[in-house]
Amino acid sequence: MTKLLTNGINRRTLMKGTAAAGLFTLAAPAIVRAQSEVIRLGTLTPLTGAGGPYGPVMAEAAKKVAETVNAKGGILGREITVISEDDQTNPEAGVRAARKLIDVDDVAAIMGTWASSVTTAVAPLCWEGETFLTTVSGADSITELPHHGWLVRTQPNTTLQGRKFGEFCIELDAPKVYFMSPQTPFADSQFSSLKTAVEAGGGSAEILIYDDKKASLRSEVDTALRTNPDMIVMGGYTPDTIVLLKDLYRAGYDGKLLGFGYSVNAKLVEAMPAEAVEGVYTLSPSPAEGSKGYDALTKLIGVEAPDTYTCQVYDHANLVILSMAAGGAATGATVRETIRTVAQGEGEAVSTALDGLAALEAGSAINYTGASGPCDFTEKGDITDAKFRYDQVKDGKITLLKIA
Amino acid sequence: MATYIVFILAIAAVYALLAQSLVLVWGQSGMVNLGLVGFFAIGAYASALVTTDLAAPVVIGLVCALVAGALVGLAVTLSTLRLRDDYLAIVTLGFAEVVRIVASNEIWLTNGTDGIAGIPSLFDRSGGLWFHVKFAVAATLVCLLAGILISRLSRSPWGRVLRAIRDDQVVAAVAGKRVVRYKAEAFMIGSAIAALAGALYGSYISYIAPDLFQPLITIYVFLAATAGGNSRAIGATIGAYLLVAWLEASRFLGEIVPGVSAVQVAALREITVGLALVLVLRFAPGGLFREKNEKAPHAN
Repeated sequence: MTKLLTNGINRRTLMKGTAAAGLFTLAAPAIVRAQSEVIRLGTLTPLTGAGGPYGPVMAEAAKKVAETVNAKGGILGREITVISEDDQTNPEAGVRAARKLIDVDDVAAIMGTWASSVTTAVAPLCWEGETFLTTVSGADSITELPHHGWLVRTQPNTTLQGRKFGEFCIELDAPKVYFMSPQTPFADSQFSSLKTAVEAGGGSAEILIYDDKKASLRSEVDTALRTNPDMIVMGGYTPDTIVLLKDLYRAGYDGKLLGFGYSVNAKLVEAMPAEAVEGVYTLSPSPAEGSKGYDALTKLIGVEAPDTYTCQVYDHANLVILSMAAGGAATGATVRETIRTVAQGEGEAVSTALDGLAALEAGSAINYTGASGPCDFTEKGDITDAKFRYDQVKDGKITLLKIA
Repeated sequence: MATYIVFILAIAAVYALLAQSLVLVWGQSGMVNLGLVGFFAIGAYASALVTTDLAAPVVIGLVCALVAGALVGLAVTLSTLRLRDDYLAIVTLGFAEVVRIVASNEIWLTNGTDGIAGIPSLFDRSGGLWFHVKFAVAATLVCLLAGILISRLSRSPWGRVLRAIRDDQVVAAVAGKRVVRYKAEAFMIGSAIAALAGALYGSYISYIAPDLFQPLITIYVFLAATAGGNSRAIGATIGAYLLVAWLEASRFLGEIVPGVSAVQVAALREITVGLALVLVLRFAPGGLFREKNEKAPHAN
């Protein structure tokens, strides 16, 4: 026994260390608890890991919305605090972070879960803990979970996106389509609706699934080019799309390219040699025409072209705040009950929390239309309608072609 | 608040089991198994598939995880017989990636990247706090049992041979020890324990997906085992509890230290974990609980 203690660290140091660590853990939540008057909302976005390029701006957007509302005195006479946790783009870390948000911070809603696996892992915690969950994950299976209305998502259904991709290919006179994507929960459903749309237009489509962690996609590109496609549709995220675009350029591909707006974004265009991205088409969910939400968000966070995820989290924060104000209580249950009364219906169209709060105060019903789209939800929690914007990279700039 | 603390204790027990699985394989036999998270995944999937698709009781799921872990462990040892040190580390790292990619793409079996949801648990999930307490107690008991088993094994003549192999495989072979067999046995026990941890985790959280089994977890567990002492069960266990305590306590940094944003806290957490590993290796290479030197018995 004595030998055990004399080895390495002695017992006193160890006890001191453990005691200090214990105190630290116990004392910290007390600091949080002391501010029981404020309304607490949580964001659970990827700040590190594969989703790292998206999460920080998302968390920032939600914070900024709360700040603008606080500047006008908050809601229900209380201030709003947004607590941001990191899901590390990993369900294990995401579950730990969500437990902290629900049990320690006692948040009424968790906003902005990104990876579908994280959302699926976190969702049961939310409905068991009566915390409302708003997500940007695309997997069709998410709204199929037994969530009893504790969850909504603003990301358009993947089947709809696939169809838009397919129709756009036909419109661009590129009937031979090759779809390249990493394995994601939505790759298959997206491809099958793309294929249906392309075949309806007299074309054909093939799919290739690649590993998004590979440093080179040369052999995948060779396989794709062997079929002589008119159009290659890229289904990945920014990091693997960069690898794919570089290898396509090296292989001398001169056909058309189409990708998601969130992966072929301003950051990617800036990081790549101009000739490798010139002419790439992009497609992304778009706000309804005439909506002020997108402009309001741009001004609020000072980013020129915020990606769709940032737009969606901005809408989450606005919707949650408006639901609480409309329902008269700052709980997850209130949000669950009232979110559809502020998000859709015949009320006055508003696109910021402040406009909405003013309208509610004046006693009128509201219909929130946000930065990401109309934000109308079905019973299951999917959005009912989405418009898309079509862009193309021209002279190193992402240029709008049309919104439809 | 109480739920959170109990939840963290339960997760720490799972991490402790993972760290313990490294004791026999890495600490005692010197085989660097960077494929740890692969065995974690094998156990989680074996148990999840048996309990959901075949509707078997959870206990059967746990047993299946142990068996699957041991069998895959045997296959990995037999296919890496000629590899030692860095080369073994690289190959086992690759093994874990293979498991993750197979789980992502063999959709008919694993449901692909959608993962498997609604995995049944040992206890009634509707019990609220009590559900978490029961699971935390069960996981801690399993962890304790595994720890005792590993300590006994390390003290036995069998454990002594493992250390002889670790220090010099040729000498051990010359002394008449069947090196391959000992290595395979140690590896099988280690991977079975990691698989058990996976099965427990899956049944607790009720959901698993390939995304869960990233190399990050292997790195965390190696840090835990290094900090605590990789050749003793108590060291690995304490290391794992300290790691989870730090990962969770550091969340509150942003609220205590003013002017640090959530993104900076997230980055700082990863930096401190890396820094801790460097500091431990520099100043306490044996960890908190170092291996005890065995003296030769006195001649009578």
